[in-house]
Amino acid sequence: MIATGVLKAEWTKFSSIRATMVLSLAVVAASGFFGWTFANMAAHEYATASAQERLDFLPLDQVMRGMLLVQLLISALGVLVATSEYGSGTLGPSLAAVGRRSRLVIAKAGMTALVALPVSVAGIGLMFVTSQVTLAAQGAPYLMPGDPDALLALLLGPVVFTLLALFGLALGLLLRGTAAAVNVSSTFLLMPVLAPIFPDFLSRLLTTYWPNGAGFRAVTSRSDLPPVLSFGLLVGFVAVMHIAAFTRFARRDA
Amino acid sequence: MIQLTALTKRYGDKTAVDDLTLLVRPGVVTGFLGPNGAGKSTTMRMILGLDLPTSGTATINGRAHHELPHPLRTIGSMLDARAAHPRRTAYKHLLYQAQTNAIPATRVDEVLDLVGLTEVAGKPAGSFSMGMTQRLGIAAALLGDPPVLVLDEPVNGLDPEGVRWIRALMRGLAAEGRTVLISSHLMSEMAMTADRLVVIGKGRLIAEGEIGDFTAAGSAVAVRTPESGVFARLLELAGAHVRPGPDDELLVTGMEAADVGRLAAAEGVTLFELSVRHASLEETFMELTRDAAEYGAAR
Ligand SMILES: Nc1ncnc2c1ncn2[C@@H]1O[C@H](COP(=O)(O)OP(=O)(O)OP(=O)(O)O)[C@@H](O)[C@H]1O
Ligand SMILES: [Mg+2]
Repeated sequence: MIATGVLKAEWTKFSSIRATMVLSLAVVAASGFFGWTFANMAAHEYATASAQERLDFLPLDQVMRGMLLVQLLISALGVLVATSEYGSGTLGPSLAAVGRRSRLVIAKAGMTALVALPVSVAGIGLMFVTSQVTLAAQGAPYLMPGDPDALLALLLGPVVFTLLALFGLALGLLLRGTAAAVNVSSTFLLMPVLAPIFPDFLSRLLTTYWPNGAGFRAVTSRSDLPPVLSFGLLVGFVAVMHIAAFTRFARRDA
Repeated sequence: MIQLTALTKRYGDKTAVDDLTLLVRPGVVTGFLGPNGAGKSTTMRMILGLDLPTSGTATINGRAHHELPHPLRTIGSMLDARAAHPRRTAYKHLLYQAQTNAIPATRVDEVLDLVGLTEVAGKPAGSFSMGMTQRLGIAAALLGDPPVLVLDEPVNGLDPEGVRWIRALMRGLAAEGRTVLISSHLMSEMAMTADRLVVIGKGRLIAEGEIGDFTAAGSAVAVRTPESGVFARLLELAGAHVRPGPDDELLVTGMEAADVGRLAAAEGVTLFELSVRHASLEETFMELTRDAAEYGAAR
């Protein structure tokens, strides 16, 4: 389905401008930094906690919260794959070169996934390492990568991030401007983070069913729903966004 | 070959291109002329599949743009030379387009050389002067060595030397048997480059033909005589068309200068002056598009 030449061209476009490359690095760097920061806070809490609280201490939950911030960067990465063309006016030449519009959208989705996945693996891996090492160094409980909870985060986390990059791409195609797409994406993705300020039932709804909330719940296996369902919710949502974006893109003047 | 059939584009209730049927032939440079807002760019965008026609079709060598497996190898284009990412190098700008059509990277070097940008290939497109930007756009159009070329205002903003260079390039490409369509809103410029002209106004076809047809259509016989009122009537009786020119001149069309002279001799009319005036293409163009332009200005 993917024409390899068009995919190669997407990579050339992506790798030949600084913004996208810097953003990719920022995802990894921010992940490491947040892993360390949140682990420091967690370790401090642990040090001053009561014996009962110490028993309830979860070495992964609190320290991987950085994902809720890094998700904004990874989604912006997807946004840029679309909007860097609109911003610089290269969509015309790109379409004139590629022809059939589906070929361009599929190549963009393929390239976004192929970049976002390794970047997310690196980012979440680094977040895990910095956080667990920091916990260990300060005498708090920590996990080894082989622990089932850790494995889930390390394997499924990058997939969730990749899906959020694809969500960004769909928004970029729909809204055609970096600022608009990043604003909408960030607001949307922060809803589950803001959940605690909403009334209880709304807050519960947000963390359980809001697409990225559901995705993160699947990663941390803390969902009221079976993880497969939580995860499926996110996948379904991103698929619907892409169908909408593609339908619009195929019928609109470039 | 480019074939437009009843091509129409509406933006809301504004009709930008109106039922345009046209065949752009290979082997010649076709100038696509019209005043600002006539619909030239919109037509080109539809040929390239960027704007979708409201109705009608545009085909390139028999196929719609979206049916071409490797579009750049069939049709090269430059609609907006500035359509390059300012931070991307000229080389990468061309490379990505080449890759989409499985064109080897060596061809990128070739076209860079052809347009004279080899030395600045590694510089970002945003640092280019207008002339260099235009050359980069031409290079992209030539990437696939295409049999059909569509260029929107290719000489815009070029210095005289750049203009000459593009003209020679276009004429050379057409001489190789390619279809070359270039737009402009300046008739004088087209007169130097194009073999055929297509004139549109308000999205409609106004005139089409060889350059020569346009100059002939614009020529008239100028006559000065003390008996202009009488002679004008005599000329009209003989089947010519007469309109007043500057300085009490009569401008006669539909009759050869020799016949005008014979008529004057036969009728004993004194002539002070008898000469052939070739209207410039510019005047012909203004005449042709006056209605379209006036309508545009009145809105
Ligand atoms: N996206 C659009 N939305 C609405 N109207 C448009 C759009 N694009 C073009 N038009 C209108 O369609 C008409 C034709 O525009 P077009 O750009 O094709 O003219 P043109 O012949 O290329 O003119 P110019 O010589 O100024 O480049 C104009 O009246 C223009 O305002
Ligand atoms: Mg135009």
